Amino acid sequence: MSNDETRTQFQTLLEQLRTDLVHMGAMVIEGISAVTEALLAVDVAASDQIVTADDELDLLSLEAEEMCIEMLALQQPVAIDLRTIVTDLKMVAEIERSGDLVTNIAKAIPRIQGVELEPRLRGLIDRMREQAVKLFGLAIDAYSEGDAGLASALGDLDDRLDDLHNDFIDTVFSSRTDRLLTTQQAVQLAVIGRFYERIGDHAVNIGERVQYLVTGELPEHAGAQRARARREAESAG
Amino acid sequence: MVNVNEPIAGRRAESFVSVPISDDVAAMNTEHATDQQSPHDAVFAVEDLEVYYGEFRALKDVSLDINMHEVTAFIGPSGCGKSTFLRCFNRMNDLIEGARVEGRIDYHGVDLYDERVDPVEVRRRVGMVFQKPNPFPKSIYDNIAYGPKLAGAKKGDLDDIVERSLQRAALWDEVKDRLKSSAYGLSGGQQQRLCIARAIAVQPDVVLMDEPCSALDPIATGRIEELIGELTSDYTIVIVTHNMQQAARVSDRTAFFSVQLNDEGMRTGELIEVGETRAIFTNPADSRTEAYITGKVG
Repeated sequence: MSNDETRTQFQTLLEQLRTDLVHMGAMVIEGISAVTEALLAVDVAASDQIVTADDELDLLSLEAEEMCIEMLALQQPVAIDLRTIVTDLKMVAEIERSGDLVTNIAKAIPRIQGVELEPRLRGLIDRMREQAVKLFGLAIDAYSEGDAGLASALGDLDDRLDDLHNDFIDTVFSSRTDRLLTTQQAVQLAVIGRFYERIGDHAVNIGERVQYLVTGELPEHAGAQRARARREAESAG
Repeated sequence: MVNVNEPIAGRRAESFVSVPISDDVAAMNTEHATDQQSPHDAVFAVEDLEVYYGEFRALKDVSLDINMHEVTAFIGPSGCGKSTFLRCFNRMNDLIEGARVEGRIDYHGVDLYDERVDPVEVRRRVGMVFQKPNPFPKSIYDNIAYGPKLAGAKKGDLDDIVERSLQRAALWDEVKDRLKSSAYGLSGGQQQRLCIARAIAVQPDVVLMDEPCSALDPIATGRIEELIGELTSDYTIVIVTHNMQQAARVSDRTAFFSVQLNDEGMRTGELIEVGETRAIFTNPADSRTEAYITGKVG
């Protein structure tokens, strides 16, 4: 033992948890690509496999959460260690929910059976996939590296995904107007588009948590400050 | 080159029972028996233990196992009998007039309190570190060498024994250039690590620690806690601590003791709950345990 190192077991657990969360994030990223492939092929068998695979992510999420709770109970973390564990707890929720969104896309595939996706729709789905994968990948990188700068850039990338989503919705409804899709199919596709857009939002949330981890600040602090100022003005006035 | 974990040269590695009762007991007493057990088997098995000081019953109804290569922590309020219980494992209570033990403690399957058991040999195998560091008024070297020398270690082996013990106690680098200087010149934390080195120099099986960090600052405490984690690869540790957060950090299993007031106003300690530390501190089974560890009851 180096005479200066203490709490090495605790630090090892924290590092293991970070590794586990990065692994879970990678599973979501793979899932986004896999479900998009299944969607474009309207492949029901593949979609069933993706739904089943979510069980593994649920198990890992539970184990990670239990680890966080155990460390809070046994290690009395403070400062950066406390922010790390709180961040990790929130990360588990963001990643697990993102996995659920992938599953939701998979579950929608059987409902669009028989649809011939026109090239414009296929193109937009693929670009949403690309943007969601990029966004989620950078969010996990930012977490893994503790990179607040990278984390703060995610909002702009998410705007791009939001634009693609809007284009997708417009295209779905013009396809409906052109009678290329039934109402039911159009609604399903619109919902699928929303799922991609929500994955992007979770990636942005991960970025915000990384900024909190590094700086102790959240975007909500700005709004909270305004609310406090208004409260004070009201009680003074 | 002497391996500090092998029997000390020159000493019979045989029984701690002075006269073998039977072949079974003699077999149990040898170093061999320890090797045949697997990790996490019980080193001590306690059954219905009670401890009396004269007519005063200090402790009652204690049954638990101490598992090999684990850290077991005893927590509880003042007067609950945890230090009394700790002293049962190396028969230190024998030295208190009027103290007596009822019930049973088996050490590697042998009744620790059998009249044929040699308590001195027990205390060699079951070492102890106390709350206040208590080095001998000797040099650092002689503190460590004292026990092995008494046990018959050859002069030529002492240097290696001293170095190995100080290395194991994470103190060697700090003292290697002043082994002949007085142990009293060390800081409190260093003295406590010296006491740990002294205990392990005689190759114990178990190390008992009675509030080992109470007299130390947080940095020294952190180093001792780190050391405790490392020592379990070779030893079994039992620690009494009034700092339950320390118990949460360092131990594998935790036993919670509390005090019961009887009709005559006598306070007797009793075991409330024992289990895996992670379970005790996230979801204890007994509401009294929960009240204590959440600080709702002192």
